[in-house]
Amino acid sequence: MNARRTLSKIVGLTQTAIGGLTMVFAFFLFYNLFNIQAVLGFSAEAIGLYLWAFIIFGLLSVISGLFLFYEQ
Amino acid sequence: MDEPHLKRELGLIRTTMLGIGGTLSAANFVIIGEAAGMAGYAIVPIVVICGLLSLLTMFSYAELGTAIPLAGGEYTFSKVAYGGFTSFLTGWFEWLSNMFYTALSAIGFAYVVSYLFPQINIPLTAVIVVIVFAIINLRGTKETATAETIITIIVLVILAIFVIGGWSYVQGTPSEPSASPIGILGIFAATAYLFELYLGAEAVAAAQAEVKNPGRNIPLAIVLSAVVLIALYTSVVVVAVGIVPPDVLSEQSSPIAFVAEQALGPAGAILITIGLAIAGLAATNEAILAQSRVLYAMSRDGYMPKGLCKIHKCYCTPHVAIIVGAIFTVIFAATGLVNFVVYAVNLGFIIGFSLVNLSLIKLRKIAPHLKRPFKAPLYPLTPIAGIAASIFLALFIEPSVLILGFELVIVALLIYYIRMVGHHRIRVAFGGISLGLGSFLGFVTYLLGTNSIVLHGVSQEVATLVFYVLLSISIIQVLAGILNLIASDR
Repeated sequence: MNARRTLSKIVGLTQTAIGGLTMVFAFFLFYNLFNIQAVLGFSAEAIGLYLWAFIIFGLLSVISGLFLFYEQ
Repeated sequence: MDEPHLKRELGLIRTTMLGIGGTLSAANFVIIGEAAGMAGYAIVPIVVICGLLSLLTMFSYAELGTAIPLAGGEYTFSKVAYGGFTSFLTGWFEWLSNMFYTALSAIGFAYVVSYLFPQINIPLTAVIVVIVFAIINLRGTKETATAETIITIIVLVILAIFVIGGWSYVQGTPSEPSASPIGILGIFAATAYLFELYLGAEAVAAAQAEVKNPGRNIPLAIVLSAVVLIALYTSVVVVAVGIVPPDVLSEQSSPIAFVAEQALGPAGAILITIGLAIAGLAATNEAILAQSRVLYAMSRDGYMPKGLCKIHKCYCTPHVAIIVGAIFTVIFAATGLVNFVVYAVNLGFIIGFSLVNLSLIKLRKIAPHLKRPFKAPLYPLTPIAGIAASIFLALFIEPSVLILGFELVIVALLIYYIRMVGHHRIRVAFGGISLGLGSFLGFVTYLLGTNSIVLHGVSQEVATLVFYVLLSISIIQVLAGILNLIASDR
């Protein structure tokens, strides 16, 4: 049981971090920091769609990760 | 032992000043310039029309405020009328709108002050203003209302000097007083834009649990503050467009200070800047009071964590709600995203106004014998007209703001169901979502690995990096999904 709880905490923390980083990445992408749009080959017209998808993915990951991390 | 409770210590004058002070935001006198650009000289009747449209809903506030004299404003009204998700959604938007309004007022103050002190840091100044007024609110409503009354009187005197002093410089009547440079749509757009002028007067209803003799004072304060505001804004706009043409006005960052400088010289500009800066402080103060009372009421009803409805034993204020709201407000103020904040304020209040009018109609039907010390005149015309006005104004809000509103509804839905439906079921749902996302990402990773999908314009190193990142994320998502799905129900 303790091993599963430890695994849940590790996976939860990792998933939360992935979600948070995805949202930060979306911010970088939107403002084209470090010329990231060109580096990853994203077209400027579709940035709105990417932004929406990354933010939704990030939010879902953060919430799911927090459920695991705070498991009783 | 009795729980500490909110004290009734606000009389008619202080309650009226609360309504006026909450409305006289520095930002309002900045947006007048932009609206003048949209509507031309038609801005004068538009200011009056906006006031009258706002008054329609204020009648509903007055009736509901006296019939349901509990803290929480719109949220409390819709809770009594509808309950469930509708009341949660009302409270959610009311709370967010007031937090955004607090941030906007603080940022507006900072911008106005920067006219005299250009070297100040705008976000830092806004943050300091929010913190100072949160501390004042923590100490008690009496201190808050006293500060509000003094500030509002000073602002009214300065604006009166501007109107009286500027009147002799008005250049006569324009040849086409109702013409808009961008046609009838410009007039409608300016009406939707300027409706923001009157937001804040409803704060009287939010603080109703602290008003003495609410049956008499709340309706009187709401109507009195609306009448004073219509007269004030109309006079200011008449003087402004009478001295400076609307197209020139729309190019100014601080239009009223610019007008004051043309008419009264540098001293006039300094005086009006001081007045607007003080107005920014009053609105910040009032919005902090309103948002904390909404959060307090939502927590009291179990929609938000219970700790948020604690009342301070010495000051009798909802100190936890004030602190939590102030933290979020500080974050919004520190971003300096003025446009985002303005849009959120307008949309939230338009939704709130519609729900207040709907609550009035519903309560007249389901609770006809409810004691109503004040009744909205010409019922049901006034609430129906109020709803129609809100829908009409919403049509002229930018589409991007409507998308933002839709996203905020989704977030509200999520929070409501997490609180109400039960932790375990929500967790299982998120487990399923994670598993689905992980499987999808795994499939995309497989396609990338077999070169079925090719990343155009990307070097081989970056493509390899993307492959491994996606593989790692999909493994974590699948694992998280399985762990959430098999979690025990405790």
